[in-house]
Amino acid sequence: MAQTNALNWFLHRITGTFLIFMLITHFWVQHYDHQAASVTHEVVTEKGEMPDYPEEAKAGVRARYGEDAEVTPYQVVMQRLDDPVYAVLWKGFNILFLVVALHHGFYGLNNVMTDYIRDPMGRLIARALSWTLALGLLIIGMYSVITAGW
Amino acid sequence: MQLTIEIKRYNPDEDDEPHWESYEVPAEPLDSALSLLLHVKWHIDGTLSLRKSCAHGICGSDAMQINGENKLACSVLVQDLVEEDGDTVTFAPLPSAPVIKDLIIDQSRFFEKYRDVKPWLITDGPAPEREREQSPEEHAMIEDATKCIMCGACTHACPSTWADPDYLGPAAMLKAYRYTFDSRDDGAEERLDVVDSPDGLWKCYTIFNCNEACPKDIDITRWLSALKRKAATSQATTKA
Repeated sequence: MAQTNALNWFLHRITGTFLIFMLITHFWVQHYDHQAASVTHEVVTEKGEMPDYPEEAKAGVRARYGEDAEVTPYQVVMQRLDDPVYAVLWKGFNILFLVVALHHGFYGLNNVMTDYIRDPMGRLIARALSWTLALGLLIIGMYSVITAGW
Repeated sequence: MQLTIEIKRYNPDEDDEPHWESYEVPAEPLDSALSLLLHVKWHIDGTLSLRKSCAHGICGSDAMQINGENKLACSVLVQDLVEEDGDTVTFAPLPSAPVIKDLIIDQSRFFEKYRDVKPWLITDGPAPEREREQSPEEHAMIEDATKCIMCGACTHACPSTWADPDYLGPAAMLKAYRYTFDSRDDGAEERLDVVDSPDGLWKCYTIFNCNEACPKDIDITRWLSALKRKAATSQATTKA
């Protein structure tokens, strides 16, 4: 039986498709649409209004980027990840985003490495190191996402 | 018109490295690029070495890099290479292959890969009394791939080949597609075993250089993608 790479190739296509939509969502929510970024369960069900940015966050943004700057403050992201209901949705989204991006990126990196590393043992070592790094980043990323706001 | 022809020359008995030499050659717009080289060989420098057989785009022996692109010298016209009198046309051997002399590359590795994919019909049953029949619809699946003349323009235009000489390359894998999808063939499994490997299908990153280089306009990337799907499906079926 040949040493197949069919499954990874298939997953690379699937993760690539996912990434198109997830990157658009991520950039829109995180970096452009500040209203959506600050929507929380509490706002929708209880207060019925959008939260303003914390005063210290607004002052920090203005001081750093100018009076007209629109940057999602860290506190707003944490507020979203602290919400009792929506946080599960966003944490789930971010973890899936993390897994998908890591697989896609590291499969690509492995392809590049095997293009230039001809020695079988060298390939094995490079592959083991790269996937170990991916696993480390996965653990750090999941820890960050899960504990953020909680 | 008068053109400047620059040829990457290399004689292993005399040169340490390949070098460029220039020649002034008369040409007509409808001359082939091959005729420019033959003018140099027949009238200026008889030591110029190149492969050429039918000179009509059938044998595939005169694939080379012309103005930086892999082409068949006999199948490209001067009017498609230059704009006006005095322009320059460059000729170099196909990249990523050992050069034997001047424009002649060592094709032995290229044809080893070709043989690796078992480019012949593999059948289980006894031979029929008459020919093995194939419907027009069945033939349509492989017709484009049967046009391949094994010139090597695609394989030597592929960045995966440049990076990894062990990579099977588009020409060999197109042959694998041509026979694997032939309705008369029973050898898909053993052929997929060859292409579904670290130096096989999965190093095709769908860059489309092969399509651009192919002098027969074969949609190589499309057929390699079909072969990938077949290999992936075969793996999934096997595991299930």
